[in-house]
Amino acid sequence: MFRIFPSSWKSFKRYVVLALYETFADLRAESRRTYVGYLWWIIDPIASMFVYYLIFEVIFDRGIENFAVFLFVGLIPWRWLQTSLIGGANSILHARGVMLQVYLPKAIFPSVTFLTNTAKFLSIFVLLVVLLAVLGFPVGAPHLALPALLAVHGLFIAGCTLVASALTPFFPDLRMVLENLVRLWFFLSGIFYSVSDLSPRLEGWFRLNPMATVIESYREVVMYGRWPDLPALAAVAVVAVCLNLVGLGILGRFDYVYPRLSP
Amino acid sequence: MSIRDSLPEPPVEEGVATKAAPPRTPVLALDRVGVFYQRRRRAPLWALEEISLRLYKGETLGVIGRNGAGKSTLLRLLAGIIRPDRGRYVNCGYRATLLSLQVGFVGHLSGRENIILGGLLLGLHLRDIRERMDDIIAFAELGDFIDEPIDTYSSGMKARLGFSAAFHVDPDILLIDEVLGVGDAGFVEKSKAVMQDRIRSDRTVVLVSHSASVVGSLCDRAVWIDKGRSVAEGATAEVLGEYQKSLEKLPARA
Repeated sequence: MFRIFPSSWKSFKRYVVLALYETFADLRAESRRTYVGYLWWIIDPIASMFVYYLIFEVIFDRGIENFAVFLFVGLIPWRWLQTSLIGGANSILHARGVMLQVYLPKAIFPSVTFLTNTAKFLSIFVLLVVLLAVLGFPVGAPHLALPALLAVHGLFIAGCTLVASALTPFFPDLRMVLENLVRLWFFLSGIFYSVSDLSPRLEGWFRLNPMATVIESYREVVMYGRWPDLPALAAVAVVAVCLNLVGLGILGRFDYVYPRLSP
Repeated sequence: MSIRDSLPEPPVEEGVATKAAPPRTPVLALDRVGVFYQRRRRAPLWALEEISLRLYKGETLGVIGRNGAGKSTLLRLLAGIIRPDRGRYVNCGYRATLLSLQVGFVGHLSGRENIILGGLLLGLHLRDIRERMDDIIAFAELGDFIDEPIDTYSSGMKARLGFSAAFHVDPDILLIDEVLGVGDAGFVEKSKAVMQDRIRSDRTVVLVSHSASVVGSLCDRAVWIDKGRSVAEGATAEVLGEYQKSLEKLPARA
């Protein structure tokens, strides 16, 4: 039968500690690979923002007010999803060596990917929110929605990461498909344009994409000082919970099968 | 549920029951167990066809067999990493852990950080690791290097750290795959010595080897497996005798 959570509270606690320590180890190891270390978490998103800024503002001249900020507020939450999802798809495949030496619930591996990317995301996101406040963007009551928004978004990403990690060991080709799907998803999520600028017919379809809702919500709060669309976010939360249950369900069902799949 | 209730006693033991041996507590048992591996676009490969064995508390069980007999798969099964596809596997609530050297080690982290990481992976709680930290470092003879990233270690130093960290885990059931001693010349002797002490102590150990002399000198009982089947189980001398006989019958290899 399906087993989503480990049998005893004690072992569950040990696995949580392990996942947190692995996350810390990942972050620390990554920072030691380069000269400026942790600074890359800030530099890297800014650099990618400039690439898109160059293309969409300088070359295509989109004419959106504060386009650099608009782009940045869309791009940072997107990168949280993208890095977790792609990393998660590889997480169990990469853990093969460990998996054959010791039993671990397989959800640990994608969880570490997710937590690592969450730490990186939060470090730049906090900086961004502070920076916008300093630059004079409105700060008010709607900012209280940020924790809930982050929680819903994080839950959605965790769900995607778990599902991707659970499926790719069975179908390694999925990783190639996934990269292209993620690229398509990027263009459909309203990162360098606003979904509400689309024709009404298109807009309805685009709003089925949870990431479009999430990204628009971030902009509403940190750029325009307005409350996000809470019912739409609640719908995203429902989808996110389902994805998590499906991901954990598959990982639990095939817990003892993953070590036996050919690499 | 105890193994005694769930599995029929093998006939061999009924025969010698009159010898009034002290009662032995089984910790785990395999009953005609088979395991296969899925292969992409090929028929599944049965790594274990039919394995039966019992492990009793405090004994050292030797598993002997030639390369490709299924010894590694058997260890994974005993360690709870995989489950059998047929037959029965019973574990009476003991944690069996492979002696895994350098498992999960990360090059950019210090020796101390890797000890924590390895310990957590092998089933220790943070508190246990902290308690054992000084012993682990002392045994590995790394001195001040313990706070340097292990990327800067020689392979001998890494081996010492890996062994020391794994050795100090000390699980209910220790599973050993061939390797007894590791590292540079002096450390091989030292690690072998502590390993043999632990095997000879009243620990429960499963030692897998293709060397009859290693099994002969260290094990209380032995199981011989060949092509995924357990051929014989019993007193070490008897099982090794049969194993040697079968080797002599083999055609000489070119």
